[in-house]
Amino acid sequence: MAACTVYSTQSLRTNISIPTSSSSKTHLGFNQKQVVFYTTSKKSRTNNNKRYLITCKAGDSQTIVIGLAADSGCGKSTFMRRLTSVFGGAAEPPKGGNPDSNTLISDTTTVICLDDYHSLDRTGRKEKGVTALDPRANDFDLMYQQVKAIKDGISVEKPIYNHVTGLLDPPELIKPPKILVIEGLHPMYDSRVRDLLDFSIYLDISNEVKFAWKIQRDMAERGHSLESIKASIEARKPDFDAFIDPQKQYADAVIEVLPTQLIPDDNEGKILRVRLIQKEGVKYFSPVYLFDEGSTISWIPCGRKLTCSYPGIKFFYGPDTYFGNEVSVVEMDGQFDRLDELIYVESHLSNLSSKFYGEVTQQMLKHADFPGSNNGTGLFQTIVGLKIRDLFEQIVASRAETPVGAAKA
Amino acid sequence: KFRAVRAAPDKISEKVEESIKNAQETCAGDPTSGECVAAWDEVEELSAAASHARDKKKDSDPLEDYCKDNPETLECKTFDD
Repeated sequence: MAACTVYSTQSLRTNISIPTSSSSKTHLGFNQKQVVFYTTSKKSRTNNNKRYLITCKAGDSQTIVIGLAADSGCGKSTFMRRLTSVFGGAAEPPKGGNPDSNTLISDTTTVICLDDYHSLDRTGRKEKGVTALDPRANDFDLMYQQVKAIKDGISVEKPIYNHVTGLLDPPELIKPPKILVIEGLHPMYDSRVRDLLDFSIYLDISNEVKFAWKIQRDMAERGHSLESIKASIEARKPDFDAFIDPQKQYADAVIEVLPTQLIPDDNEGKILRVRLIQKEGVKYFSPVYLFDEGSTISWIPCGRKLTCSYPGIKFFYGPDTYFGNEVSVVEMDGQFDRLDELIYVESHLSNLSSKFYGEVTQQMLKHADFPGSNNGTGLFQTIVGLKIRDLFEQIVASRAETPVGAAKA
Repeated sequence: KFRAVRAAPDKISEKVEESIKNAQETCAGDPTSGECVAAWDEVEELSAAASHARDKKKDSDPLEDYCKDNPETLECKTFDD
């Protein structure tokens, strides 16, 4: 039987309500997914619309929430495109809505950008002298309420932060998807939001690589120079270190991007050493390993069986501790030149959660034009995508099982 | 038949340039003040928006765009079997 919840909320502008903390709950036996109706009290002449929102969930329809944290300009959108591709179907902005909406929607997945929860717009931050990285510029109460509502199967009216104008635009309707991804600067900052996450990822880009990437991104832009790029990074650094960076201790998976060790004194940022740090003991998540689980292994795949061009490829795998947690680390330094290298590497990795042999390679080939497709960033992002699909399927399966078991008992 | 083209990228470029100038002026007095840091944060936000707009523009293929609107024309027709 479906379980239904009635939320009553007061005086809302729009058709679908955001449950507030004062929602009262009643349980009914409806079958509909969602019913909205109004009652207008005619006695009082004030515009006091009381309304009820009924949501019903079948056992397996609850939304799974994934958090992705990274600084701006660090490849969140590439990661998102790889992730949605694993689930099939392209992710697109909501149709017919605000053209500057930050949301992406596909059949299974909805990605929302946490910048939409800015409490201060661009002018407001300037007046107060705070950056977007500062918690004071963000509304964590609303973030928590709305993410919780979506997780409970309730649609919400989410604000839109317009990155072009720097203003908060009128809200858009977000319906509960199978998988909700919240990406931005602070998905793991607030402990209430953190507790809602079924899985969390942190993209950790080292300062050298961040600088190199931003030069590639901005140098063509008018007005930008090496000095201005450097100044912008330096100015934001104290807030970044204070509010964003500490979140990585809570992440289930961290993708660390460092300069290569294969070429001495490389500062081009083209060849990368990428580490996938996977927390042990996370439910529904079993870390990827190389050759032998729990051993420490250094592997250079280049040799008689595989020709690599300069500077080659080097893998590392081993157990470690990260902020006091047991983790398994898989590391790749260098870059792929050709496909046969990737399939060769894939065949030596275990626990990939792929559905068929070569799926990782196929996913990477599908998006050969994305940044990072020839190095560890693309490889590990794809692997994390497969891991999330596996996690999703296990959670759905376990939910489908529980009510049956309960009925028998 | 014309489609409205959003001229956003150029506009953002101007804004980036303006915000950099503004940040450099704001920081001339005190390079660690809140105003200075917020000004550079604005530069970062606009630079990211400009880069996203550039990527969007770069990704678009003229023929694909045309075929989205005119799938029945000879150059756009595709058959599954």
